[in-house]
Amino acid sequence: MSIRLNPNLLPDLLAGIEQSQQNETTASQELASGRSVNEPSDDPAAAAAIVFNHNQASQDAQFLQNISNLQGRFQVADSTLSNVVTSVTQAITIGTEGANGTLSPSERQALAAQVQGILTQVMGLANTTYQGAYLFGGTSVTTQPFAVDATTGAITYNGNDQTTTVQLTDGNSITANVPGDQLFQNPGGSILGALQDLYTALNTSSDNMGNAVTELGSALSQLDTQRVTYGNALNQINLSESFLNQDQLNVAQQENDLEGADVTQAATAFSQAQLANQAAISATSQVLNQKNLLDYLA
Amino acid sequence: MGTLTASLNTALSSMLAQQGAIDTATNNIANVDTPGYSRQVANLEESPTIQEGDLTYGTGVQLASVTSLRDAVLDVRTNQETAQQGQLNAFIGAGQQVQALFNETSGTGLQSSLTAFFNSFSDLASDPSDPTTRQNVLTAAQNLTGAINQTSSNLSTLQTNADLSVQQSVSQINSLTSQIAQVNQEVVEATQNGQNPGPAEDQRQQLINQLSNYIGVSETDAGDGSLTLSTANGSALVVGNQSFALSTQTNANGFQDIYSNGQNITSQISGGSLAGNIQIRDQEIPAFQNSLDTLAYDLTTAVNKQNQAGYDLHGDPGGDIFTPLTQVQGAAANMGVVMTDPDLIAASGTAGTVTDGVSSSSGDNTNANALYALQNSNMVDGQTPISYYSGMVFKIGNDVSTAQTNEQAGSQALQQLQNLQGGVSGVDINQEAANLVQFQNAYQAAAQVVTVINSLLETTINMMDTATV
Repeated sequence: MSIRLNPNLLPDLLAGIEQSQQNETTASQELASGRSVNEPSDDPAAAAAIVFNHNQASQDAQFLQNISNLQGRFQVADSTLSNVVTSVTQAITIGTEGANGTLSPSERQALAAQVQGILTQVMGLANTTYQGAYLFGGTSVTTQPFAVDATTGAITYNGNDQTTTVQLTDGNSITANVPGDQLFQNPGGSILGALQDLYTALNTSSDNMGNAVTELGSALSQLDTQRVTYGNALNQINLSESFLNQDQLNVAQQENDLEGADVTQAATAFSQAQLANQAAISATSQVLNQKNLLDYLA
Repeated sequence: MGTLTASLNTALSSMLAQQGAIDTATNNIANVDTPGYSRQVANLEESPTIQEGDLTYGTGVQLASVTSLRDAVLDVRTNQETAQQGQLNAFIGAGQQVQALFNETSGTGLQSSLTAFFNSFSDLASDPSDPTTRQNVLTAAQNLTGAINQTSSNLSTLQTNADLSVQQSVSQINSLTSQIAQVNQEVVEATQNGQNPGPAEDQRQQLINQLSNYIGVSETDAGDGSLTLSTANGSALVVGNQSFALSTQTNANGFQDIYSNGQNITSQISGGSLAGNIQIRDQEIPAFQNSLDTLAYDLTTAVNKQNQAGYDLHGDPGGDIFTPLTQVQGAAANMGVVMTDPDLIAASGTAGTVTDGVSSSSGDNTNANALYALQNSNMVDGQTPISYYSGMVFKIGNDVSTAQTNEQAGSQALQQLQNLQGGVSGVDINQEAANLVQFQNAYQAAAQVVTVINSLLETTINMMDTATV
């Protein structure tokens, strides 16, 4: 005699229906949310990796914000220095004109007045602010960096020689400023000093005119050298920006790999579960309507 | 020598016996859907024979007994599996609520506020003198402490819920063990009186199975038909017709400990929702609370220390950003932001010269960079904050997922056991119908025999009439 089987088939059949319904729900959830990981227990390792992934995405966004902030600042600094170059070039022309021995003292004084105007202009440029902070005072950003001493007439630098470092990407930083004394009062050629010398020479018709013009020339080339820092910084920033944009794409792709639903697979799983569910229901209805021996005994 | 009366009695015994068998089959059919019912069989046997000289006469048939068909081993295995499932289901139910607090795919966890907090230092470093970036640091710090406080408080609520479930389980267990003790007595009495103890055993198994949902029990046969039930550590729950109630007492943490006969057995309970809820309440949630405390404490300490290493807008050495914490325990609940003035964030690495309360180094970001770099230091239990937190997400996901896998396997095992049990105890309508027809035929045959004997008796009586008339 064979082993007696459980005569009650319903629990198995109902479990089958339940299982297929559960599979249907899982697959439809995946299709609806577009995610295969809806809670940590769905895939603990992926859920843990998503923490790093989202962290990276937010960091990239922050770095890009820093970059946009720096871009604005560097562009203002660069165009300010470009204006300084224009003004100084103008002063050199005036100096060359003033060196002409045929000029009368009053004509020279008129030129001196022009140089004074340029000096004021350059002082203004050297004291440029960006979003309320002085650009050329080193890390001293709340005190006006350049001022004329009322009694001596000398130009003093009230900033410091400190630079700041801003992180562009993980492990990649950039120097975000050049202290103003390096730009405008560089020992290798001082823009402000040379302009003052030129003014004095023109005003007093001194023989130092030629020296003053030469001085101004070397100060200008010194400024150009320092200005390169900002140009290079802008280039470096643009490179980092492309890198971060690419990294954001990678991070998004990685996120999709971690928690994104495989739509084809989910759709297949859904129709399979649906088929299984219908089969189980149909089998159950047949079992429920099955005749037994008593039906034939009547 | 046999008599007609003896034959009549034999036929009558058959009719009675078949009637009993028909009753049994009918009762089986009636109970085909009754939960816990074990099918019964009518055990027919020959009546004692009569010896007359060399001849042995049969005296018919008798219904010796009706017995319920059951497999006690399958019962025990079903109960064990049920206890396992009860524990897993309780764990999964609460575990899913815990993991909802750390669900980063839906963004309900701590990652965003943790990252935003460190990003605020990067923002600060890019423009250290800007009041907005400074205020953003304090806002991000408040958001972070708010999120950590909330998570800690939610964990405590879940812990309290688990404690309530523990108390409910205990009262269910006590109600069930007292019922089982009564039914135990019924089984003993039925056995002693030679009755079928099956129906009482059916009821007892139903009750023990319900009990197993709440607590894992070990069953031993006392020999008189009663079962002795005890917890995994051997504390008696039911002995004969006596039950031993579990009691609860509030412990140092404000939660209920389980006592049996004055002994604290909380940590020794295994199986059933009671064990599942104790596991959640005393192990799982405290582990997460402790991780959260460690994260809160180490973050507070490291950030404060780094802020103290720098100088604020006024050129003064930095102070505390977060409220200083004295101990790890409770750190997540107590974490807070103590700094209110954004000027006091120590972004600068140098004091500078101070004029009118303003440092000449207000544009210095050395310490802001150092504060930002903290996120890459192994400050939390030898890991970076994000790495440590990611480990927490993995742990809860893995704990729930492992329990779910075990629950699925257990559910299949349980179904298998129920099928095996159905094979032994389940009523098969076709089988009962066949039996019914068989017993009916026998009954009709016996009735026919009575008619024949009746006719024989008539013949005999008429014969005597003829003789006297």
